[in-house]
Amino acid sequence: MGKRSAIFLSIILAVCLSIAGLSSSAFAKEVEYLSLADYTGPIAGLNVPADMGLEDYLKDINAKGGVDGVKIKLIGIDTRYDTARAVSAYKRYRRSPKLLVVNSISTGIGKAVARLIERDKRLQLVPGDGEFQAHIQRTFIWGPAYQDAFAATLDWVMADWKKKGKSGAPVIGYLSWDNPFGRELLRGGKEYAKKLGIKLLPPEYFPPGTLKHDVYLTRLAKGGANYIHAGGVDPTPTNVIRDAHSLGLTKKIQMTCGYWGPTALGIGVHAKALEGTVITSFYQRGEESKENKVVTDLWKKYRGSMVKFNEVYGMGMSWGMTYVAGLKAALKAVGYDNLKPDDMYKAYQGITGLDKYGVQGACAYSPTSRRGSLEVKIYRVKGGKIVPITGWRKAPDAVSLHKF
Amino acid sequence: MRIIKILLLLAIIPALVLGAISCQTLQSLVGPKAKLEVIPAETFLSPALIRKPVTFNGTGFGPKEMIAVEMVLPSGMKMKGLAEGEDLVGLAVGDTDDKGNFTAAMKPMATLNWFFQVGWTPLLRPNFKEARPIPPGVYKINATGLYSDRVATSSLKIVPPPKKKK
Repeated sequence: MGKRSAIFLSIILAVCLSIAGLSSSAFAKEVEYLSLADYTGPIAGLNVPADMGLEDYLKDINAKGGVDGVKIKLIGIDTRYDTARAVSAYKRYRRSPKLLVVNSISTGIGKAVARLIERDKRLQLVPGDGEFQAHIQRTFIWGPAYQDAFAATLDWVMADWKKKGKSGAPVIGYLSWDNPFGRELLRGGKEYAKKLGIKLLPPEYFPPGTLKHDVYLTRLAKGGANYIHAGGVDPTPTNVIRDAHSLGLTKKIQMTCGYWGPTALGIGVHAKALEGTVITSFYQRGEESKENKVVTDLWKKYRGSMVKFNEVYGMGMSWGMTYVAGLKAALKAVGYDNLKPDDMYKAYQGITGLDKYGVQGACAYSPTSRRGSLEVKIYRVKGGKIVPITGWRKAPDAVSLHKF
Repeated sequence: MRIIKILLLLAIIPALVLGAISCQTLQSLVGPKAKLEVIPAETFLSPALIRKPVTFNGTGFGPKEMIAVEMVLPSGMKMKGLAEGEDLVGLAVGDTDDKGNFTAAMKPMATLNWFFQVGWTPLLRPNFKEARPIPPGVYKINATGLYSDRVATSSLKIVPPPKKKK
């Protein structure tokens, strides 16, 4: 070999190595999951344990070799609950060809990002806004819609009312945050109450961060409420019920909450005030969650002691289960090399019936459904613990009752 | 001579590939030049920014497109919620009209999180005791059309608050 040939080959080798170095990820089969989360903002208390569940679930899958050899990379962005930050973060990652799913922590963020998701032919997950079921697109919700769960609470209320030997229908008060999420439960929920003959008092809305809720609660009590539904995301419902308890209202009025009602977070601080509270949830909670071996084994493996365990950890695992099932289906359909975000969107619509190990009802995603599951379970705070008082039951379709 | 030809090819082919990749960027340069105005261009941090927030006016973007307004963090600056190496934070989101113009104001959440860098209490209230207001300086602001990729740049000058009169 001549000197010139050796120099030539060295140059070729150097170029090849530098290209390989720049695109080393091209050789590792990897797909991405973007979590537009809140780790240090106002709802970090619930989002952090949920993303811990997701992180651990994916870590465990990766440790076992991934899905058909494809590893899953979780990209967690701390949006601090801010839409502008979330859109900016999505902008940063949207051109990534293997970014298959985006999970947005708030309805506001979800609605802003949804427009880009449609354009990018990707799929997004958001909490529970019924509008995404009413207008089927590429955004999926985590469980039944907010208004479906509220309607299930109303069913329970009617049954409880009759069980107490009362005739007719009760009067129900509703208070929640003064924002789209706070109003969402009544878009369909109000119509469902009317259908049952329930008198729903004019709703009371308050700004997130309100310290005391006495004014709103007193107005609802004076309006003759037999039941009061406390909205918002924990610890807000906990604080509302704390105030109702201080006012002596919980002695004669039954307090109810939706699926962001008290978790270990609220129970740990105001167990006495929360006693008797009824919670309608699409994911397993309280004592039941602590007895779910699939959930607790993973927690213990990666987090150790159960002292700081919060049940939303299981809900985070559920996001991971859905992603893994979707990825398996997408890989089977097109293979890794051809895999595009649109294939994951198609795959999610075909994982109907996916079992979630008791964490929540079976997956209900399909070409006509954006609901993560259809079932809810009713829980009650008893002796400082959250215990189930029903089995899984299908939540009524309240979304279809509202004109969006 | 042959080696020179091969080396030239090695230089030209990657250039062509990179050129094709950046075609989209080139497309964004077609059309009117996007412009951005920050109102006010100079301010100091005070709670008044919640009621009268910093606002962004833009022109020259695509019609009916979504706009992301972002602040570029100076090298080495750390911000709550941003990971190591992140140098952009979203300040506002807007939508252009038929002519490609937009106006977007910072929401209270953005002002609290990114200008004041507050903490949050379990009661969902901003905690000013944990606030770390961003230091005075000139911050580069970008507005990006999320459909056209057009970018306009301006700046926001944060000045120290006026000294209280004794």
